[in-house]
Amino acid sequence: MIIVAVQFYSPVQNKDLSAMSDHISKVVTIPDQVNGILKKACYDCHSNNTSYPWYAQIQPVNWYLNKHIKAAKAQLNFDNFKHYSTRRQLSKLRAIENSVEEGTMPIASYTLIHKNAVLSKSEKKLVMAWAAASRDSLEQIPF
Amino acid sequence: MKTLIYSFAFSLLFISTYPTNAAAKKVIDLAEEQAPKNSTITILDAYLKLKNALSTDNAQNAATAGNELVKAFKDFDQSKLTPAQRKTYTDIESDAKEHAEHIGLNAGKIAHQREHFDMLSKDIYDIAKLLGAGRGIYVDRCPMYNKGKGAIWLSEVKDIKNPYFGKAMSTCGSIKETLH
Repeated sequence: MIIVAVQFYSPVQNKDLSAMSDHISKVVTIPDQVNGILKKACYDCHSNNTSYPWYAQIQPVNWYLNKHIKAAKAQLNFDNFKHYSTRRQLSKLRAIENSVEEGTMPIASYTLIHKNAVLSKSEKKLVMAWAAASRDSLEQIPF
Repeated sequence: MKTLIYSFAFSLLFISTYPTNAAAKKVIDLAEEQAPKNSTITILDAYLKLKNALSTDNAQNAATAGNELVKAFKDFDQSKLTPAQRKTYTDIESDAKEHAEHIGLNAGKIAHQREHFDMLSKDIYDIAKLLGAGRGIYVDRCPMYNKGKGAIWLSEVKDIKNPYFGKAMSTCGSIKETLH
């Protein structure tokens, strides 16, 4: 009965089709290959546009997914990247490099369902190299 | 009789130090109460606690110190800063706080804490340069950390006790700068 009732709680949508003027590509260069990886493995949680599966319209799945997405975007939102201070941009690029290397990202609960988001060794290397190079291009190192 | 008077006078000396000490203590307490809440001392204290925890490979203490640092940021009174200082400070603080939060959340993963400590140290360094450290601080650098890119940390002691490698390579690093 609760499952039926809870369906009347309107599903939230992480969707924003307006042009993303604060997207990370405005800050650093993103090679096509890297862009493809980010799109398939990261953007569902770390952007303003999630591709929801059909079952995402059902509660409490919808609630669970959006909880994750909200937390993820607070940590890192590729569509909002230009808005961050340079300092924070550097921190986030480092975090991308580290978490891909350690395998903490993409998150296991996501790759369980999305097999195409599992990064191969070479894909990981590529993202890490891109993140490190982007960081170098932004950084002014006093030491 | 003379001896008695002398010894009595002598003993008075000691009795008279008691109220002086009590008065001195009151002054110190008062001074501490009135210490500017915008001083960087509490922030730096928490940071140094964190640094010492990492140098001894204690991830649990590092997490505790990380949380203390988050609190120190929250308690810091920004209203005493000039508008220009405040702008720079809030830029640094928002990044530093995130790192401190992550360190607080990762008690079981010292490697991950150290990654955040790298970036946090740069932030704390910038805060100390901006507002003053309030104490003598050594800026140390380890050339090996982060795949040879190197990393800095701030220390209250001259001895090198590397927080990035802990006991595995405790003396790796050198003093690059001193702050006040």
